[in-house]
Amino acid sequence: MFVRIEYKGGRLTGMLPSLGWIMAAGLAIGLSAGFIMHRSDFCLAAAFRDIFLFRNPFMLRMVLLLVVATALLFEMARGLGLLAFYPFPLLGAPSLSNIAGGALFGLGMVLGGGCVVGTLYKMGAGSLVSVAAFGGLLAGSALYAAIHPLWTSFARAATFFRGRITVPQLLGIDPAAVVFPAAIAAAFLFLKWRREGKWGRPAGPSGSIRPWAAAVLLAVVGLLAYVAVGMPVGITTSYAKMAAYADSTLLGGSLSDAAYFRTTPLDVVNPATGLVLRGGPGAVFDAIAAVQVPVVLGIVLGGALSAILLREFAIRWRVPPAQLLAAFLGGSLMGLASRMAPGCNIWHLMGGLPILAFQSILFVSGLFPGAWIGARALELIVS
Amino acid sequence: MGENTSVKSVSLDLRGQICPATLLMSLKRLNEMKGDLKTGASRLTILTDHREATVTVPEAASNMGYAVSVTKQDRHYVITVEASRG
Repeated sequence: MFVRIEYKGGRLTGMLPSLGWIMAAGLAIGLSAGFIMHRSDFCLAAAFRDIFLFRNPFMLRMVLLLVVATALLFEMARGLGLLAFYPFPLLGAPSLSNIAGGALFGLGMVLGGGCVVGTLYKMGAGSLVSVAAFGGLLAGSALYAAIHPLWTSFARAATFFRGRITVPQLLGIDPAAVVFPAAIAAAFLFLKWRREGKWGRPAGPSGSIRPWAAAVLLAVVGLLAYVAVGMPVGITTSYAKMAAYADSTLLGGSLSDAAYFRTTPLDVVNPATGLVLRGGPGAVFDAIAAVQVPVVLGIVLGGALSAILLREFAIRWRVPPAQLLAAFLGGSLMGLASRMAPGCNIWHLMGGLPILAFQSILFVSGLFPGAWIGARALELIVS
Repeated sequence: MGENTSVKSVSLDLRGQICPATLLMSLKRLNEMKGDLKTGASRLTILTDHREATVTVPEAASNMGYAVSVTKQDRHYVITVEASRG
C-alpha cells in the first residue's frame, strides 16, 4: 500500500494512500489530545506560569511525568524498531537561538492564556480570548518572514556541537543508557510525591480526567504520532502556512513571496515506507500540510466535542478588551517565537526533550524566564 | 432574623475571561472583602466557565478558612464563598 510520492515543481501532484493515512492518523491524534486536555485542564502554559504566579508547581510535576513517560515509550519503540527516524527530522544542532525562542515563547504563551495547543482546545470550547490568540499566532508566524534572513544568520553563528543533535550522540552512548536510569530515578521522585500528597489535587467537576492520567494518555498519543507519521506532534509550521494562504487569498500574496515561505525545512524519505515527506510554510499543499493541519483541526474539534458533551460549550462575548489584546499579542509572540526557536512547546516537550535533544533542552530552559515575565505582565493586565 | 436577608451577596462574573483571570480576580476580591466575609456580613458568588477554577478557587478559599460550595448552573459554574459556620 505504500507508494512513493512524485512531485512536480516542489508540489505534491496527488493524494496517495500513505499521505491519506498520515492525515487520518493526525486527525485522530488531534481529536484525542484536544479531548484529553480539555477534560483534564492540561494547560502547559499554566505549568510554567503558576510556579511564578501562584507558587504552585503542581502542573509542572505533571509535565515532568509527561516528559518521562514519553521518553520511556519512545525508547521502547526505538528498541522495537518502530521509529522510522531517530533522531527525527527538523531537529538540528543546538544554537543560542533556541533559548531565545523559548524565552519569547514562554512570555507569549502566558500572555496568550494558553500555548499553541491550549489555544486550540480552548477555542474549540468557545473561548473568544483563544480566538484572539489564534489570530495572533498566524500574524506572528507571518511576521517572522521579515526577520528570517537576519535571524537565520544569527542562529547559524550561534550554533555549537555541530553535527550533534542529542546528548547521547555527543557522549557517544546508547540512548537507552541515559533514558532508562533517568526514568527509574524519576519514578522514585514520583513515588515520593505520591506519598507526600503532591501527586493529585481535589477532583475536578464531573467528566474530568485526572491530570496524572492525562499525562500518561498524552504520552501514548504522542508515541502513536511518532510511529504513524515518523515524527512527534508538531503544529506551528502549519500556522505560517495558514498565514501564507490567508495572505495569498486576501492580500494578493505580497507577503508570502518572502524567502522564508519558499523554504522546505522538512525534506526526508521515510526509510520504512519510502514515503517522501517534503514541505514548508509556503501556501501549497505539501507534507507539512498533510502532517500538521489535520492535527490542528483535530485539537479544535476535540476541545469542542468535550465541551459539547459536557453541555459547557458557550461563546461569551463580554470579555475585557485588554484581555483580547493581551491574547492577540501573546499569540503573535508565540507565533514569532516558534519560528525563531524553531518549534513549539509541544514539539520540544513531547518530542525533543524525551530524546534529550539539545535544541529542546535549551528551548525549555528559555520557557522559565519567559513565563516569569509573562506572569508579572498578567498581574498588571488582569485587574 | 433570617440569614438570607442580612447577608450581602457580591457577585463576580468571570465567564469567558483569559486563564487564569478567575483565580487571580477571586483572590483579589477575597482579600478586599476579607472583613465582611469573615464576619458573615457578605458572601462572594463567582461565576466561571473555567473548569480548573472550580478546583483552584475552592482550594485557595478553604485554605483561607472559608466555606466554599460549587454548583453547576446552565453552562457555567457558581462558586460561593462565605464564612464557615462553627
